[in-house]
Amino acid sequence: MALWHSLQHGLRNLLRGRQRAQDVADEVEQYFAEAETAWMERGLSPEEARRAVRREMGTMSAAREEVRTFGWENQVRAIWSDSRYAMRQLVKHPAFTWTAVLTLALGIGANAAIFTVIQSVLLAPLPYANTSRLAMLHTHWTDSGHTSTRVTGGDAVDMRAQTKNLDAVSLYNGGNEGVQLRDHATYTNVAWVDENFAHVFDLKPIAGRLFSNAESHRAVVVSEEFARNNFGSVQAALEQVLHIESEAVVIVGVLPGGFHFPDKTEIWEAAPLKPESTSRTAFNYRAVALLRRGATFKSAQAELDALSQRLQTAYPQDNRAKLMQVIPLGEALTGNARPTLLLLWATVAIILLIACVNVTHLQLVRSMERQREIAIRKALGSNAWQVMRPVVIEGLLVALLGGVAGILLALPAVRVLVAMAPKELPRANEIHLNGWVLTFTLGIAVATALLASLLPALRAAKANAAEAMKQDAARGMEKRGARRLRDGLVIAEVAATFVLAVGAGMLLRTMTTLMKRNMGYQTRQLLVVDADNPAHAEDDYKRVLTQYTNLFTELEQMPGVVRVAGVMGLPTSEYGSNGYYRTRGGLPADAQHMPYATFTVASPGYFGTMEIPLLRGRDFDASDVYDGQFVTVISESLAKQSFGNADPIGKQIQCGLDSPKWMTVVGVVGDVRQDSPAEQPGPTLYMPMAQHPYYANQIHIVLRTEVKPLSLVNAVRAKIMQTNPEIAMKFTTMDAMVNDSITVERFRAVLLAAFAGAGLLLAMLGVYGTIEYSVAQRGFEIGIRMAFGADKSAILGGILKHAALLACLGIVLGAGASLMLTRLVTAMLVGVRPIDPISLSGASLLLILTAIVAASAPGWKAAHVNPMEALRAE
Amino acid sequence: MDNANTDVIQGTMDMLILKMLSLEPMHGFGIGRRVEQVSRGVFKVNPGSLLTALQRMERAGWIEAEWRQTENARRAKFYKLTRTGKKQLEVETEDWARRAGAVARLMRVEG
Repeated sequence: MALWHSLQHGLRNLLRGRQRAQDVADEVEQYFAEAETAWMERGLSPEEARRAVRREMGTMSAAREEVRTFGWENQVRAIWSDSRYAMRQLVKHPAFTWTAVLTLALGIGANAAIFTVIQSVLLAPLPYANTSRLAMLHTHWTDSGHTSTRVTGGDAVDMRAQTKNLDAVSLYNGGNEGVQLRDHATYTNVAWVDENFAHVFDLKPIAGRLFSNAESHRAVVVSEEFARNNFGSVQAALEQVLHIESEAVVIVGVLPGGFHFPDKTEIWEAAPLKPESTSRTAFNYRAVALLRRGATFKSAQAELDALSQRLQTAYPQDNRAKLMQVIPLGEALTGNARPTLLLLWATVAIILLIACVNVTHLQLVRSMERQREIAIRKALGSNAWQVMRPVVIEGLLVALLGGVAGILLALPAVRVLVAMAPKELPRANEIHLNGWVLTFTLGIAVATALLASLLPALRAAKANAAEAMKQDAARGMEKRGARRLRDGLVIAEVAATFVLAVGAGMLLRTMTTLMKRNMGYQTRQLLVVDADNPAHAEDDYKRVLTQYTNLFTELEQMPGVVRVAGVMGLPTSEYGSNGYYRTRGGLPADAQHMPYATFTVASPGYFGTMEIPLLRGRDFDASDVYDGQFVTVISESLAKQSFGNADPIGKQIQCGLDSPKWMTVVGVVGDVRQDSPAEQPGPTLYMPMAQHPYYANQIHIVLRTEVKPLSLVNAVRAKIMQTNPEIAMKFTTMDAMVNDSITVERFRAVLLAAFAGAGLLLAMLGVYGTIEYSVAQRGFEIGIRMAFGADKSAILGGILKHAALLACLGIVLGAGASLMLTRLVTAMLVGVRPIDPISLSGASLLLILTAIVAASAPGWKAAHVNPMEALRAE
Repeated sequence: MDNANTDVIQGTMDMLILKMLSLEPMHGFGIGRRVEQVSRGVFKVNPGSLLTALQRMERAGWIEAEWRQTENARRAKFYKLTRTGKKQLEVETEDWARRAGAVARLMRVEG
């Protein structure tokens, strides 16, 4: 009640400030008048009465002041008037204001942008129902420490049947597939999911219904977006028939827009609850699960631990050291992105720190200029808070301006980030600025303001009035502490920038290493067609093979095309297979560590087209037919791995791709880097398409061209359409694919380099500001020295030496810090050692140069001071 | 006695004001004069402190103010006790009596 009254009165007074001041004045005046009247009634003259009242009660103005300053609203009023004062001060010092606001905008903007990404990707709850109970099941090997994000059908069946903590387990797999609609074919993300999938995600169709287990491979549900884009409306999509992998499936339901798990799935096809593969060594599935209400990840994992133990005993061969793991879905989806994002966060935090140091420094300079003003205020009886208030308010104001500018900067920055982000970045489509980010940004703005103004404010409060009046920087009588503080800030700034520069240097060197790497094949002038020729029955595959063989010949005759081949398992592509193999006549293999290789299925002419050197033997040819002797071409490192120095030609190899037949080695080719330039070249088994038709319908067609590869797209598309209009296709180039395979590395390197650049700019500003200030303050002293015959070059040299000294101290500190932090990036480096002398020395040189350049302008100015003018300045 | 302390005893200003206003509504100077007269000059109130105290009490809801004419035909702010103010006076009076009694007993203690 009392609080309410107080609030009410305070607000009324705030709103009607003049009225209230008048009321107080009236009341006080009346009080004094009555008092005078009382004295006069006792017989004093008016003059005597007035004097008596004055003696007894003091002046009217003092009483008025005392009454008027009562109430919380007066604090508000004082702060408001301080703010207006601070505002005027900022306008009066535009150089200070601009520098400080822009510096903060840079720091806060970078933080807001990166935090936006982190919040959306790592922190925001997944956009699904029951988020906290959603889990992903992984397979972990306790002996090798390796973890697969997949499970086998056999293990999954046991996890489903023998766990109490898992309410439902759903198996799925899928990827980018060619989908045939009535009049065209399109590439779409398709997932094969069982009946439990809808239960795990609590899906409710917006039209139609969900499919049942009985409808496996016959029914699909599609996303709202897919329905609208392809059929015009949600209702129109129902009962439509699609062809996926040559199976006719009917759309029975449409899921609400925005749901696209896994990845960017548009179509979910019914798969049987009982997995088609029940092997315990074929990791064909991914598994999502819903924890039972009341169960925890800990209890679920304990149950899986026990189950894994039982399975290890029951299947000592297949399940050796195999441990099933239950991981929160959010963690499973974003785990890979975490180190990169945290690295970026650490980076922008350093940027913010540098920005803070700069602003603190600027504020410090400002407060030194105000020292006399502050001293006068203290001499007139202001208390510590009253002295600190204007300084803190000015800092807050600068930070708020910086914060707003930072958010404006972050808006486009986030868009650039998302556009640049590797496609592996999970949840990229969910990234947007929101309340959390704004709160975070506001929070750092306020924290920055307090941090940056605290030091100057405390100094202001501590200032000894008499000392400060005597002290006058302009006369070279600055306190030593003040100067040491400013130098310290510059050193800290250089150190922080150095850490960024070294990090950026190492990541950039990683990038150049990757870009210069020999992939083992020629990436230039290579057009790549991702082609999916629908096939289902055995006859289909044979037809597809013939179609492709004829197509390659026809494409090869097109003008501009040199050579054409087909391949399943093109380097850096998303298809591919790998596994164990056995040899006859090779080196003895350890039963525990079977030799492992990448499996690639290729047409004759593939090595020639890719320019992978044929080292021995022959390429595949038309004689390698399905009914004939199975053959294989091996890569150099496979030959070394399994045959040592012996000639591998004629030796026998068997692998688990699709056929148990033994294959004769007919050739040896050079190694390639399969996944990306970051990969080491490794063993590969090449097999002819004709002998592995089941891997020969969804392939990449590679065309070595004499002209710009993409200029042939239309002609090639027409030719393929002519062969079979049902072939779904996508075009790209080998250069683009290799480029895409290192987007994560590029993303990191480019961002860190950009941030290091920003840090450098800020450090430069900091050094410039300090030197400029000290030169300006020492004008008088320099004037005297020059009047006594000091050399221009001696003065310039002294200033530059000072700047270089600060930089060197900063570099030493920064080198220490970066040696401690280098662990963070070790895993992200390729071809660069964690302690990289080139990056370290490069960064040192850069920073010393920066410091000298930043100091040279004020240094030059100082050296050209006219002594007479400097001495007459006051 | 020129240098004698005429300040109101710490913490009793509110009670004294409430007591004076319980007699009749008054303006600021009226309260000050009444305190001085009744205490026979032992207490003198300073206008700054008195008017500030009145503001605080108004905000606490103990008193209400109204601008009216005085007997000297001046416009003045008259204060009167509210119901909460009366209750507050009772509380403070009781509290004061208890404490004053205790101080008196303490001062009577001998040897």
